[in-house]
Amino acid sequence: MSRLWGYVARYRLRLAGGIACLIGATSLTMSVPLLFKRVVNEIGAGQGMAGVAPILGLIALIAVAQGVVRTFSRFMIFNVGRDIEYDLRNDLFAHLERLPVAFYQERRTGDLMSRLVNDVTAVRMLLGPGILNFINTPIYYAYGLSIMLSIDARLTVGALAGYPLALYVVKRTSAMLMERSTHVQEGLAELSSRVQENLSGIHVVKAYASEDHEIRDFAALNATFREASLRLARVRGFVGPVMSVVGGIGTLVVLWYGGWHVIQGRLSVGDMVAFIGYLNLLAWPTMALGWMLSVLQRGRASMNRLNELFAIEPAITSPHDATAPATCRGEIELRGVTFRHGGPLGTAAALENVDLVIPAGRTVAIVGRTGSGKTSLVHLLPRLFDVDAGTVLLDGRDVRTLPLGWLRKNVGLVPQDPFLFSRTIRENVGFAATPNGVDPVGWAVTAAGLDRDLADMPRGLETVVGERGITLSGGQKQRVTLARVLASAPRVLILDDALSSVDASTEREILDRLRDFFDQRTTILVAHRITTVKEADLIVVLEQGRVAEVGDHGTLLAKGGLYADLFREQSLEVELEAV
Amino acid sequence: MSDEAQVEGKAYDARLLARLWTFVLPYRRGFWMAFLLAVVNLAFALAQPLLLGRAVNVAVGGDFARLSFWGFTFLAIVVGEFVSNYWQQYLTMVVAQESLADLRVAVFARLQRFPMRFFDENPVGKVVSRVTTDVDVLTEMFSAGAMTIALDVMKLAGTVGAMLWLDWQLALVSLVMMPVLVFAIDYFRRMARHTYRAIRERIGRINGYLQESISGMSVIALSAYEARAFEEFRALNADHRDANHLSNKLEAALFAMVEAVSTVSVAAMLLWAARQHAADALTLGVVVTFISYLQQFFVPIRDFSAKYAVMQSSMTAAERIFGLLDLELEPQPTTPHVPAVVRGEIVFEHVWFAYRGEDWVLRDMSFHIAAGERVAVVGATGSGKTTLIKLLDRLYEVQRGRILVDGVDVREWDVAALRRRIAVVLQDVFLFSGPVIDNITMGHPDITREQVEAAARHVNAETFIRRVGGLDAHLRERGSNLSGGQRQLLAFARALVHQPAVLVLDEATSSVDPETEWLVQDALEKLMAGRTSVIIAHRLSTIENADRILVMHKGELREQGTHRALLAQNGIYAKLYRLQYAAGEGPAARVAAPT
Repeated sequence: MSRLWGYVARYRLRLAGGIACLIGATSLTMSVPLLFKRVVNEIGAGQGMAGVAPILGLIALIAVAQGVVRTFSRFMIFNVGRDIEYDLRNDLFAHLERLPVAFYQERRTGDLMSRLVNDVTAVRMLLGPGILNFINTPIYYAYGLSIMLSIDARLTVGALAGYPLALYVVKRTSAMLMERSTHVQEGLAELSSRVQENLSGIHVVKAYASEDHEIRDFAALNATFREASLRLARVRGFVGPVMSVVGGIGTLVVLWYGGWHVIQGRLSVGDMVAFIGYLNLLAWPTMALGWMLSVLQRGRASMNRLNELFAIEPAITSPHDATAPATCRGEIELRGVTFRHGGPLGTAAALENVDLVIPAGRTVAIVGRTGSGKTSLVHLLPRLFDVDAGTVLLDGRDVRTLPLGWLRKNVGLVPQDPFLFSRTIRENVGFAATPNGVDPVGWAVTAAGLDRDLADMPRGLETVVGERGITLSGGQKQRVTLARVLASAPRVLILDDALSSVDASTEREILDRLRDFFDQRTTILVAHRITTVKEADLIVVLEQGRVAEVGDHGTLLAKGGLYADLFREQSLEVELEAV
Repeated sequence: MSDEAQVEGKAYDARLLARLWTFVLPYRRGFWMAFLLAVVNLAFALAQPLLLGRAVNVAVGGDFARLSFWGFTFLAIVVGEFVSNYWQQYLTMVVAQESLADLRVAVFARLQRFPMRFFDENPVGKVVSRVTTDVDVLTEMFSAGAMTIALDVMKLAGTVGAMLWLDWQLALVSLVMMPVLVFAIDYFRRMARHTYRAIRERIGRINGYLQESISGMSVIALSAYEARAFEEFRALNADHRDANHLSNKLEAALFAMVEAVSTVSVAAMLLWAARQHAADALTLGVVVTFISYLQQFFVPIRDFSAKYAVMQSSMTAAERIFGLLDLELEPQPTTPHVPAVVRGEIVFEHVWFAYRGEDWVLRDMSFHIAAGERVAVVGATGSGKTTLIKLLDRLYEVQRGRILVDGVDVREWDVAALRRRIAVVLQDVFLFSGPVIDNITMGHPDITREQVEAAARHVNAETFIRRVGGLDAHLRERGSNLSGGQRQLLAFARALVHQPAVLVLDEATSSVDPETEWLVQDALEKLMAGRTSVIIAHRLSTIENADRILVMHKGELREQGTHRALLAQNGIYAKLYRLQYAAGEGPAARVAAPT
């Protein structure tokens, strides 16, 4: 909770202002029944309009003043809640940005979303309406009780006799409400995972024509959920009527007991009016008590869930004292590198004691069967993951000592699975573009072989892709992703099987266009198309996380080892593709 | 189905409410009962200030007996109000829950009959929220929206009526502030319509942005885009906050204004009352009654903003739900073909198919599979093998040409009859959480437990089923407590128990342990016996044992014949054979990876 107070402290002045206004507004409100009492008594005493006009004028003034002050009190306090919600969400987002890829492999997107959306909302409810009612209720009670007691102590006790009952009911039902609404929430979650499962397996449902069964099953689950909802409704529907009956009992006491006192001449009709007025004013804060309890509980639980997220230390960060080198040559070295997924104690090593030098400006191909560690190797270079043992060096410096932003700007990785944001193609490509005099986006889309595709789209570069736009084919997505990295003009360019969905001749064409670009930088190609690999300066063959063979195409082929095997298989594939 | 894009922010749409009403109709007795109780409740609520006034008058007159009489009456009314109030709220919720449960089932049932294309185009998460979240929003409309607003209007009218009846002059004076209030509420409503809509749109944008950035965080990291992404997020977040600041101001002003107007109205009333009372034209009791009425009068108006927001989001939710209900279902022929016996003869006649536009996945496919024939389909990744299966089961419609089963176009078949006679077993076996037996029968009640046991035994699944706890044991989601081989066997049992005429199988590539492998092979052999089988083959034994092999390449049928004949031909098949079956496991797994 201390983190929460930190946020609250930022807005303490406005919050204090809001609370001051709230106290002022409520004080004004609470004075009104007392004034009505005087008016009624004056009327009872036979005063005409002239007699009561001054007090009524005062009441009207108070009403207007109260309206103005209350407006301020409410929006000032609620706005602070919104401001803190805003800060909290920004901080969470910034924190998420610092967490490494490994974190996202373990967490479900839905869970993170619900923290940033639902939990932040629950905290905001605690701060806005929560604070308001927390302050308001005691003020109402303080004024109400003291004024009522000063009029008639016994009548006060009688009129409020129902309130302890109300409190008891609220307290009892809030526990029941909590329990039953948990059931409803669980039921809803079960319903949605049921629908989720059904839709994911809809092909099987259709294949066995078991739609009717699925509907029956769902209907049964739905009925259970409906019952849970009704159980909740039975309790929830109780609170409102109990509160109005408590108010009614209060009025009854005032009517009966108060009326009797009026007959005895010990109480005025004005006093009765005042009493009924105060009973009315106290009804809402009393009802709000139970509600506040649940808001408090929910808010605290949610803040804990947020703190849990904040407590996760970013594993891969820029070192504090890192200085960016003036230039990047692009020489890469791996020294005794061992890497496991899931950290040092994780699964079998993806890379085991790998030593490798990639000279600056060369084109290197990495080949190997599925699972041999190719992707793991290239992920270490821009520090998507860190090694478990050994060192990865760029221009002779451990990558962990370089500023992260600088490293990633200079090491451009085109990943296997293309990911596009639902924005325009221009934005997707220009994401990290390095302005270099010419138009980097225009150049990159041409280099990535997208120019023809774009010509077919009426809006060209301004075409929106993804969920809110058109769906691109797998090959198109890969080429947009390639263009994105090309536009950033990194010194080290890594293509991690990045053109696998692009047909062979288009790949050829793209690589030809990029020849000059490759010549000026270190290029690492993870590929399985033999034509791509063949021309590399150096070919690295990985097998089960180790470097099995290194050499150029001719040497490796002559050696008759793993590379030669792969070459044979792939030649067949190429032949097939060509048929 | 776009979420917030086309929403106009209406809080009231007669067309949508009329459609919702069709779901309430079966529970109309409960609905009208609740309505009746609401009227009774209203009468009780209106009676209380009246009684209070009477009591004040008798108290002023010093008549204790009469005071007691009014006291008892008041007590009775308080109790009556409690009862009617509770039952009205409860019945409303019953009607809401019952009718919305029906709506939920209607949406779900509808979903089951949508064509596969729908599921290709719409992410599961979005569709799920139509059935859950959106329907839930409508529940709120019952409890805090439409019904409440109707009752509020009645309450306001009732109060005005009672006051007019008591003393029309005093009533008119009491309502002197009403024009101001009406003007204010109308202003609020117009402002709120845009503001609330903006809030919902903006939170939608925040959620969309979050969803996307969380999924694409590695791209953000690799592009060193963190600072700018943060700036973009912050801007969206700020937009949302600003819209909320505005709505806070509006709501605060409305809330405070209603309270002020209420007090001023009482003051105005008292001013006139003083004159009338001094002239002996008004009792003190009526004054007290009026004070009480006026205090009741303004409460519903004060809470207007919350109800408005509920109505607005309900209309949006209803719009989306009905939008879904209005989508077209899988086509079903007018006189569906339901034969008594299915032989299992399959003919493709010049079939062309594309998932999108003219990106042909199958081009001019023609072949004939005789009943009882065993056919293997081979081809590289992307050659269209999986699509073939989907078309056979009529999960998609062909664009050109036709597919005949037993000489009848699949479009003329009853969809369910066709699918039940064609058993499809995919590589990635989909299991549902729930009992093992349900995963085998797929819920068909005509399949007996004995049949299930026999089928399980026949396909060698009996032993492991017993080991996991028998047919009634629960499987976890996706059957994650079973091994790959076990899932295969279960899928075989599922296929067998439906006694299909045609078995369509996408053979698993992932190698299982030798023992299970033997069980799978043996089971497959039994499963194929005596029926037409079409198998996307990944195992050497399968192609060698096939009566005929169809070789698919780039969406076309390029070669067909027996294993030996095709090898001798030394064409595509020969290459594929060397690549996938003769060159070891590694590349085979890759080349034939599921598409």
